[in-house]
Amino acid sequence: MNLAHWFSLWRLSPQSLKIGSVILLFWLLVAVVGAVWTPYGYSQLGAGLPLSGVSWDHPFGIDQLGRDVLSRVLYGAHIVILLALAGTSLGVVVGALIGLVTAYIGGWLDEVVQRFAEAFISIPFLVLALLVIALAGPDLSGDPILIVIVVAFVYTPRIARMARAAALDIITRDFVTIAKLRGESAWSVVWRELLPNTTGTLLVEFSLRAGYAPALVGSLGFLGFGIKPPIPEWGLMISENRALILAQPITVIGPGMALASLIVGLNMFTEGLARILGRTVRLGEQ
Amino acid sequence: MIPTTNSVIAVEQLDFSYRTSGQWISVLKGVSIHINKGEVLGLVGESGCGKSTLAYTLLSYLRSNARIDNGKVFFGSKNLLALERSELDQLRGVQISFVPQNPTTALSPHIRVGQQISEVLVQHKFLTDAKVIAERVQELFSVVELPDSGALMLRYPHQLSGGQQQRVCIAMALACDPNLLILDEPTTGLDVTTQSQIIALLIRLRKQIGMAMLYVTHDLGVLAQIADRVGVMYAGHMVEVAPVDTLFEGPRHPYTQGLIGSVPDVDVRKNLSQSLRGLLERDKLPEGCPFQPRCEHADVTCQNTVQYLENVSDNHQVACQHWKSIDPGVPVDSTDLARLSVVGDRQLLKFDNVSLSYTTKSLLNAVLGSPVIPVVRRVSLSLQTSETLALVGESGSGKSTIVKAAAGILSPITGSIEFDESGLSGDVKHRTSEQRKNIQFIFQNPDASLNPRSSIEQILSRPLAMFFGYTGSELQKAIDNSLDSVRLDSSYRTRYPDELSGGERQRVAIARALVAKPKLLLCDEILSALDVSVQANIIALLRQLQSENEIAMLFISHDLAVVRNLAHKVAVLYDGELMETGQVEALFSPPFHPYTHVLLLAVPSIYNRHTTSVPARTEIVGTAAGKGCSFAGRCPWQLGELCTQEDPPWRENGQSNWIRCHHPLDELLRRSTWHVQPQPPEKLG
Repeated sequence: MNLAHWFSLWRLSPQSLKIGSVILLFWLLVAVVGAVWTPYGYSQLGAGLPLSGVSWDHPFGIDQLGRDVLSRVLYGAHIVILLALAGTSLGVVVGALIGLVTAYIGGWLDEVVQRFAEAFISIPFLVLALLVIALAGPDLSGDPILIVIVVAFVYTPRIARMARAAALDIITRDFVTIAKLRGESAWSVVWRELLPNTTGTLLVEFSLRAGYAPALVGSLGFLGFGIKPPIPEWGLMISENRALILAQPITVIGPGMALASLIVGLNMFTEGLARILGRTVRLGEQ
Repeated sequence: MIPTTNSVIAVEQLDFSYRTSGQWISVLKGVSIHINKGEVLGLVGESGCGKSTLAYTLLSYLRSNARIDNGKVFFGSKNLLALERSELDQLRGVQISFVPQNPTTALSPHIRVGQQISEVLVQHKFLTDAKVIAERVQELFSVVELPDSGALMLRYPHQLSGGQQQRVCIAMALACDPNLLILDEPTTGLDVTTQSQIIALLIRLRKQIGMAMLYVTHDLGVLAQIADRVGVMYAGHMVEVAPVDTLFEGPRHPYTQGLIGSVPDVDVRKNLSQSLRGLLERDKLPEGCPFQPRCEHADVTCQNTVQYLENVSDNHQVACQHWKSIDPGVPVDSTDLARLSVVGDRQLLKFDNVSLSYTTKSLLNAVLGSPVIPVVRRVSLSLQTSETLALVGESGSGKSTIVKAAAGILSPITGSIEFDESGLSGDVKHRTSEQRKNIQFIFQNPDASLNPRSSIEQILSRPLAMFFGYTGSELQKAIDNSLDSVRLDSSYRTRYPDELSGGERQRVAIARALVAKPKLLLCDEILSALDVSVQANIIALLRQLQSENEIAMLFISHDLAVVRNLAHKVAVLYDGELMETGQVEALFSPPFHPYTHVLLLAVPSIYNRHTTSVPARTEIVGTAAGKGCSFAGRCPWQLGELCTQEDPPWRENGQSNWIRCHHPLDELLRRSTWHVQPQPPEKLG
């Protein structure tokens, strides 16, 4: 894989993948830089006069407590991205495991797990997330680990169903029969035969879910069930500054735009990736 | 060279390319061919040689990634390639029509077959009167020998058998009385008996209607039955064109000779391994003759000299500069018979009165009292060590089901299976590790039986690690040895299945089975997805491996020619019951079981041309499963009530052959008409 190869790959890739990856790279850069350096401290009070408006020093304005909103957005980037990715990763690993194993074993276990998954899928995202937070109790409220678990919990049944559907197609292939006749354990068949052949599907599923995860994290923050202040999680910032929406709209629009562009970027990237993978998967089967 | 006015269609210097991953790949190079009025031209070649592409070009049908670089296709005085879409619409389906390979996908599943044919009439003949249309459809049905009752016209495609579907496709192609019929492998997916009926139909239609045909196939035997002239293609080049008899008796091109030599034949047992060496490597084609890298007669000049078709005689052309110095004909080497391995004296596998069913005995069935009808009924088989037993029969006869029971995928509902002097469970979970090691399965399609995400090394190392616990250098050595045993070098270790050709993949699948050092190899149609030259190599390989390692094989094949060249013993199955079983030579000589007889008559042979005889009727006059002879409904010599009501007895024919029939053996002997050719000629031609 030399430079020319990558260049030609880039040239052939769909437009959405190009735009998406540019946005995504930008936010990853911001996340890395923002974690160590911002113009002002993210919780530094008195960075400017509250409600002093947009200026070169404070492009996103100053919030009620006198904090620089841009610095808070930059610092918050890595928090939003980390929470979203960690939650999605956990959901994909657990969901894939459940989906693949139940698909292979089949029988009543498969039936029972499927019905549970359907029950959970029928509950809307946010309601399910709030339910889990309520069950976890007030002690854990605001803990980043809880947020990760909530995101994972919401995604797991959906991913399990996708993984199961992909695996059912693979299970009928002869190489799985050969492995079975050889006396391989269920675990070995899942690990060696099923997982490698479903990675394409799972990868697309991962990036699709990762695209929605910031929205979920943001919504929880907005409702006050997410990360606790003063950590500048974007949803939380929108919630904090919503009283200023008429007086100084930029303090809400700033983090709102950040969240929106991250989600759009992730989605475009995913869509492009899915198209490339879909193509190679089809070519491989011919 | 503008062909004579006698030709229906003429292709001139056609160059054709496909675009794949941004590159134009040449598929046809300088192909010229013509078809005379009322003539059947056969096109033959191995997969990827461009024969289907040429057929589609005669319809001026291009896929979106295709390009015609050069050349003309004259239909009458018109160049088809220069016509507008609207002009083509007036020709295609009217004067030139097409019969596709797979009728299941060619017919629209949600439209009644009668209506699908009438659509053609409405579109091209502008018929509007429903009564006229219905009459014409009736007429077409009787032309293709479908029962012309109205009921069949109202059926949906899935309610017809494969042969009936193909007849509907042919009827559709004939709807507007075309001058040229293009058939792309029209019998490839069909059973051999159905195939022979379709071919007989086409021969009759041609006599009646006198239309020209282009018949594309990979099967030389089929061409021997139907074609007047044959064009042989290799890597996009037309390498030889000759009348069918000349082609089989005196082929001039080294590729044609190798191809004919590779085809196993039901009439002759011959050595298949000598024929074609190497493989077609598309990315390494020389400037000149495409066959040069694999040719025995090639010299330095072949590599750079473009070969053109030269006249050998009036209508025999060959594209080889050395044709004058090459002996015409195909050497037949029958010494190979001695190479069949010696059968061991110990019984390895025994099926005792085994019945098999896919329906599980559920509670619901038990309550409703609905009987489970087994797909395989009371089958008894035995197999010695180092012996090959072939299971033969049409699709649905239960061949695969029997092998599944031996593999441990399906448990017998009655009867027992014995392996190596101990009982064998029908469920692989209840088998010992030793039994699992000793019974290995090779599937039909290597694309599906190799994990596409595993390297060859990973594929081979798994059974080695499981059965022998090899690790480290021991494992590496065993992998190298197993690749070597199937004639692949160790550079294949790091490659993935999609980087291999079909034949190489099947070799890897065989290697995976062999690393376990099995005593019994189950082979489910392992040759049918492969080209003939590859098939010949694999047959030779299997024979050699069998005698080296003393492996017994349970070998499923629909191809009687392969069976005759590979098996020691044969079992003929019909609808889940054994009809005849015995040593291969005894089975291929009279007396025959009526079903064996029907099968043998249906196999096209290149040594016995133009003798398609239409075998027995195909419509099955219902016999209740499990009662009487299951073949009774189709048997040409049925004895009325006796056959449908009573189980036929097993009759012993000599020492090694048993026939299950109500007819006495002398009666069967008297009725057998299949020619028997005891010795192949020294040399054909």
